[in-house]
Amino acid sequence: MMSQSSFDRLSVALSIVAALLIGAAVIALSGTNPLLAYGEMVEGALTGSGLRNTTARMIPIVGMGLALSIPFRAGVINLGGEGQMVLGGLAGTLCAIYLPGPPALVMAASIVAGAVAGAFWAFLAAAGQIWLKLPILISSLLLAYPARAITSYLVRFPFADPTVTSSSTVPVPDANRIPKLPLFGGVSASLVLLAFFLVAIAIFNQRTVAGYETRMTGLNSRFSRYGGVGVDRQVVWVMLASGAIAGVIGTHLVVGETYRFLDGDLVASGFAWTGLLVTLLASHRPLPLLAAGAFFSALQIGGLAMQRNVNVPWQIALVVQAVVIVVLAGRFVLSRRQRAQPEEIPMAEGELTVTGEV
Amino acid sequence: MSNALELRGISKSFPGVRANDNVDLEVRRGDIHAIVGENGAGKTTLMSILYGLTAPDSGEIVVDGRTVRFNSALDAIAAGLGMVHQAFKLFPTLTVAENVVFRNEPRTGIFLDRAEAAKRVRALGSEYGLMVDPGARIEDLPVGVLQRVEILKALYRDAQVLILDEPTAVLTPQERDNLFVTLRRLKDRGRTVIFITHKLGEVMAVSDRVTVLRGGRAVAHLDTASTSPTEVSRLMTGRNVDLDSRPPPSLLGEAVLSVTDLTVRDDDGLVRVDAVSLEVRSGEILGVAAVAGNGQHELIEAICGLRPADRGSIVVGGREVAAADMAVTRESGLAYIPEDRHRVGTAAGGEVWANLVMGFQRRKRFRRGRFMRRAEVEEHARRIIADYDVRVAGPAVTAATLSGGNLQKLVVGREMSHAAPLLVAEEPTRGVDVGAIEFLHRQLVEYRSQGGGILLLSAELWELLALSSRVVVMYEGRIVAELDPAETDEAELGFFMTGGSR
Repeated sequence: MMSQSSFDRLSVALSIVAALLIGAAVIALSGTNPLLAYGEMVEGALTGSGLRNTTARMIPIVGMGLALSIPFRAGVINLGGEGQMVLGGLAGTLCAIYLPGPPALVMAASIVAGAVAGAFWAFLAAAGQIWLKLPILISSLLLAYPARAITSYLVRFPFADPTVTSSSTVPVPDANRIPKLPLFGGVSASLVLLAFFLVAIAIFNQRTVAGYETRMTGLNSRFSRYGGVGVDRQVVWVMLASGAIAGVIGTHLVVGETYRFLDGDLVASGFAWTGLLVTLLASHRPLPLLAAGAFFSALQIGGLAMQRNVNVPWQIALVVQAVVIVVLAGRFVLSRRQRAQPEEIPMAEGELTVTGEV
Repeated sequence: MSNALELRGISKSFPGVRANDNVDLEVRRGDIHAIVGENGAGKTTLMSILYGLTAPDSGEIVVDGRTVRFNSALDAIAAGLGMVHQAFKLFPTLTVAENVVFRNEPRTGIFLDRAEAAKRVRALGSEYGLMVDPGARIEDLPVGVLQRVEILKALYRDAQVLILDEPTAVLTPQERDNLFVTLRRLKDRGRTVIFITHKLGEVMAVSDRVTVLRGGRAVAHLDTASTSPTEVSRLMTGRNVDLDSRPPPSLLGEAVLSVTDLTVRDDDGLVRVDAVSLEVRSGEILGVAAVAGNGQHELIEAICGLRPADRGSIVVGGREVAAADMAVTRESGLAYIPEDRHRVGTAAGGEVWANLVMGFQRRKRFRRGRFMRRAEVEEHARRIIADYDVRVAGPAVTAATLSGGNLQKLVVGREMSHAAPLLVAEEPTRGVDVGAIEFLHRQLVEYRSQGGGILLLSAELWELLALSSRVVVMYEGRIVAELDPAETDEAELGFFMTGGSR
């Protein structure tokens, strides 16, 4: 067991080094000194307002990663994180805007509303698999489109802000916004929620009977069923939990960050897909997931600084990110061969096809 | 007669284990040579050395009088060896012909000449009695046919020496008999066969010579004609093994399973179990004999709650479970040793403890509220490992590293430790060696004597006859006979199993 995890760590380190070297070559080709560019990247991601931005970006990336890790670990492929996040985000936003009452209660209600809306959308996908025999992989992905269309309609017509030209809601009243923590110059208090999710999931996975049962289902669902686990019920639960967290993250992105639900904004961010990557790379384990999410956040924020300061396009940072993913995915295949255990990483080959929108 | 193959002084150590210790082996050309030994005796290591998959620490391999050195299986193939592995190595989405000619394809230009490939496969098949449709897709074929494809693949590469690693472990009795016919035909055509097994009946039935491995050493080289199953099993285990004595009857209690008028359909809607009624009482072993595919598996699945019943009633421990799932049947007092230990009975990627607690995980003993009591769970795992002699370093090891026989002991140990009133045992000794069979048989009899009722399915008729209190025969979904094992034999069972009636 030890040798396996140290092998894992070594191969992760090697793939990151390899990716950075390839990225350096690309930067050099674009005519900039790679060391200078990387220096800007590190500085831009980890100092001053950069550190705040990196942490802020980590919330949705790690959050969506955690949301998706729950069903993935049980062998349930939820590709609909985007739809669950967007619908949850709108539900939470509308509550924060229109619900009367003391701000603390409104905020809590808006987070709960986001969770319920996201969970409901995820439930539809689970129901599709259980009663219509439509694989969740497909039903969840397809349901993302109506989710986008519904939110798009709602913010363009019934809930549009007539005073602005863009299609968006009115801003969330100041009092009802999720406050900033006095950390790195102001990170959203949603960070606390993220920490809660992370710890709760880690405990669930490691310590609970249900966590054991979901892992077994992910490894071999026939074995779970044989052992008396109610696999269908489990599918519903993991999807509800996944959708709820996605919905909370969507709510955070508006009520804790942008304060207006702007049509297409949450989709354009690609957080759901980056979250998918992060959980795949971390094999759905919470702590590695946090590390991977922090790394990608830093890469993206640092990439922006690199563009600003030494004029290397932001896309270069995305190239580095993409190379890390490809090399790490290669590591899965490699370690799979070495152990000859195909059951262990069911998504190793499929994952590259879903990473198009980084 | 000259030797097709010789191994001289082969030794191989792995950390903590001496897998092969100075093993000599001489295989004469045109012989069927059996290599027998218990699980862990070093058979598989020896064969992977012979096939170039593992390098020996010392010793040499001689093929046709020439000393050879294999760096990979390709070298072994070039030297005229062919291996049929236990787990088949075929491309599931390609056809039989495409698999057979792989790496040496007939071509027209740059394209595969399918017609020629099919023709060659058909010709090879009819020469050796290995009838296969060259155009069939691998994924659509049953296991017995896949094995024929593997043999064809080796023959296509002109293998003079065929090595078969426990070829009968996955076969039905009919398929096994067909395999033996093929092996004899290979022998008649001058090919040499090395046949790894731990089933004594097969050794006696088909081999010319036998090499017995024990603890990594070759302890005997025998002519089959001048030895006996008793001698071979004594050499294998180092003690006397008695598999044939029948256990004394024990006291019968009340019914732990009552099936009445049960009808079950398969996934395609066909009736596979047709109005079956049977009863298992506490203290007895009810054997079910049937040729594969006669509904016995669907019957088991329905009883366990893995397949819905179409009609009829199933009562386990006084509770009607015809519409229940496995959680309910387990709660009602059922434990189940499934036929397919890989796809149903275990999760290869999980640790040994995780595999051993399955089915128990919701018991009070193993949880505190919603939390799992890991110390208890690991203690439980350690106890089963010790009681059932599962050869594994500890509960935290991944199950995928266990050999087939050890995995079987893990599954049997787990299910028996439920001490459920009803134990459904499907092929409980498949793939384990003769010493372990004797051990598992004793456990089953003990289970029954303690008041458990067992529903036993086995393709090994001698096993059914040796263990069962009563045997019922299923044919085309119906129970066609009920026999007393003391007054019947394999021939009579076979007669009913193939549709005979009096």
